[in-house]
Formats: sequence, structure tokens, C-alpha cells
Amino acid sequence: MLNEERVVLMTKMASYEANEGKKSLAIGSYFRSDYIGWQVLKSIISATIAFVVVFAMYIFYDFEVFMMEIYKMDLLEFARNVLFFYLGTVGAYAFISYVVYSVKYSRARKSLRIYHSNLQHLASLYKNEKNG
Amino acid sequence: MTTLLVIKQALVTVYSKYEVYITPLLKFLLALISLLLINSGLGYMESIDRMTVVMIVALMCSFMPTGFIALMGAVFVLLHLYSFSLECAAVTGAGFLLLFLLYLRFAPKDTVVVVLLPICFLLRIPYVIPISMGLIGTPASAVSVACGVIVYYMLHYVTQNATVIAAMADEETAAKFRFIIDGLIKNREMVVTIAAFATTVIIVYLLRRMSIDYAWTIAMTAGAVVNIMVLLVGDLIFDINESLLSVILGTVLSFLLVLVLQFFVFYVDYSRTEKVQFEDDEYYYYVKAVPKVTVAKPEKKVKQISSTRTGQTKSQPKGQTRNSRPVHR
Repeated sequence: MLNEERVVLMTKMASYEANEGKKSLAIGSYFRSDYIGWQVLKSIISATIAFVVVFAMYIFYDFEVFMMEIYKMDLLEFARNVLFFYLGTVGAYAFISYVVYSVKYSRARKSLRIYHSNLQHLASLYKNEKNG
Repeated sequence: MTTLLVIKQALVTVYSKYEVYITPLLKFLLALISLLLINSGLGYMESIDRMTVVMIVALMCSFMPTGFIALMGAVFVLLHLYSFSLECAAVTGAGFLLLFLLYLRFAPKDTVVVVLLPICFLLRIPYVIPISMGLIGTPASAVSVACGVIVYYMLHYVTQNATVIAAMADEETAAKFRFIIDGLIKNREMVVTIAAFATTVIIVYLLRRMSIDYAWTIAMTAGAVVNIMVLLVGDLIFDINESLLSVILGTVLSFLLVLVLQFFVFYVDYSRTEKVQFEDDEYYYYVKAVPKVTVAKPEKKVKQISSTRTGQTKSQPKGQTRNSRPVHR
């Protein structure tokens, strides 16, 4: 027999799964540390690429002057400065990513809690129907 | 007012019924306008400066996520700039890459702002975007708006200085490179615009969240005023020579436009018709869920006209609202 309440509930849940729940369900399949760790790692890679692009543009901007001064400058000191900037940039970006993805994860979990309670309600509807 | 409410209701009904066609159509129009504007502004590569190519790409965009429009826009811009000057394409490409890597990865939905803002700049109403984003977004939208401003000024600078760049000899690669980067980094107008738009987004957001009457209207008005103020102060400090009249007129026009948007778009719940499929042990379900449309009824005011004198009390008739006041004559 078709149960109207059950169909309404299932429709709402199917709509959630197809739309806003799609991402939440994907996020919810990870452990918190795995999800945030993976996203922060991707952020570090992004920040590294961004740093390389900016550094390349910085060098190319005054390429002739840079090539003339490269023999005079303390290369170790220059490398230390570049490394310091790199770590600073990547560290700050990784921290921001950590905060952003922590918030995203807890929001997804919250929305999934409602979804799971709907699932339990659906299971109880089936059970009641079976018991008569 | 009732007519407007009826129009609004009709819009909701039409949208919820034909959402499947309306959303792709809007995407198609957005893509078409963006690509045509790019072609008319840059248009250095003849092979993509054709209506057929634009139509095909716009049609593709209509069935893809909104971010695809931004991607196609970026590809068109880079191809045109590549035909014009390799250095321009390299700097612009690096700029796009940085925007994508550092910000748009976090907020992929906001890519539409990066597409819309340059279009609004060309229409002289860029102030619509910061006020709207303050109303519907979060403070983080300030970064999206800033990205849009950067993209616009990047392209604006290249088109404005196209003759200078073209006049530079081919072997002056480093000089060309320096000229383009200088133009972007030292663009004070861009910095002032970013500051004004970011402040507007944050002010509008903070005010519209306050639990006061007419919070949205107050937020919009305050946002428009702050926008003008910051732009003017920036103009005075950095001596940009921005037209005062165009700033004020643009902001007023944007304010009116946001008022219309607020009435027809932001307030209304455009619930979509959902088509879902699922199954249980006994059945396959193919459900089409159509949202209920509530008809906006004008508020009823009961006026009681009584011949009794002032001071005499009369029992309140059944059904009279709390707000109604008996009129004594």
C-alpha cells in the first residue's frame, strides 16, 4: 500500500540528496581529520603554485637588474628570505583553509543529522506498517 | 502595490513551473552577453570573434554549472590577449590563476560575481553588485567583489593602453611586462574601488542582519551612502579624478535597481519543481513535487463607523482586527 506520509518524506529526502545534500553527503563520508587534512593539503599545493607564479613574475619584472646583481648578492641570504616568505604565505593560507573547512565540515554534519533523523523516522514508518 | 504583488506572484508561479527552461535560458543570456562584450572590447583573435562561435559556447554554458561561464570568459580573454601580446596574456593568465587558486576554490558559487561585475562596470552600474552581495551574501563576499574589480581593471588597463603596448618593439619583452604589471599594481583607482566595494558589502551585511524594522532598506541606503563617501574620500586622497556626477548617478541608479531586485528576487522563495526518483521494496517512485503557491492577500482593515458619541463604549464586533480603530463622528 502507498503511504502518503512516507512518500512525502522520501520525496523530501530524495530532493535533499539530489541538491544541497549532495556535498554534505560527500563531506560526511570522511572523518573530520581526513577531510580537513586533505583540503589543507590541497590548499598548500595551491598556495605553492600561487607563490611560484608570483615569484616568477617578481623575478621577470626586473630580470636584467636581477641578472646583473645575482653575482654580487648573498645567495644564501636571498634563498633564506624567499623560504621565509614562502613558509609565511603557505602557513597563513593553510591556517585560513583549516578554519574554512572546519566550519564547512561542522555545517555538513549538522545538515546530515537532520537527514539521518528523517531516515530513522522513515524506518519507523515502515516498521509500523509491517506490524499492522 | 497590489499590482506589483500580483506580478511578483505571477513570476513565482511561472518560475516554479518552467524552472527547467528558465535557468538554462538565463545562463545562456549571461554567457552570450559576457562573450559578446569580451569580443567587442578585445576582439584581437578573429577566429573566436564570430557570432557562431559565441552562440555555440553560450549554448554549452547554458547546460553547464555557472562556473563554466567564468571559465569560458577567461579562455576567450586569454586567447584574444595571446593574439595581441604574449606578455599581456601571461600577466592576465597569472592573475586569473591566482584568483582561482587563492580564493575562488573556497567559494565556487561566487564566480558569477566575477563575471557580472565587469558587465555592470560597462553598464556604469557596478554599485549594484556590492549592495546585492551585502544583502544576500556574507562578509566573505567582499573578497569575491574585490576579485571582480581586479578582473575588470586588468582588462580595462590593457584595452586603454593597447596602442602603447602595441607600439613597443617585440624585443622589449621585459619592458612590456613591467609596463603591464606597473599598471595593475599601481592602479589607485582600482584600490579605492576595492576599498569602497568591500566596505559597502560589510556595512550592508551588518545592517541587514540587525533586528530592526526595514533593516534591508536601511542597509541598502547606508551601503549606497558609504559607497559614495569612500569613493569620494579616495578620490580626494589619491587624486583620481573620478567623475562625481557619474558616481552619484550610478549609485542612485544601482540603489533603485537593487530595490527592484529586492522586491522581485531576494525576498521571494523561488521554490523549484522537483522531479525525483527513488524506490523501496515494493515500488519505484517517480515523483514530481510542485511547490504550493500562496496568493498574497492585501491586509484587511476594518473601519467601524458608529453614530455613538465619544466616551460611550461599544462592544467590539466579531472579526475586528487589533489594529483597527473605531471612527467616531
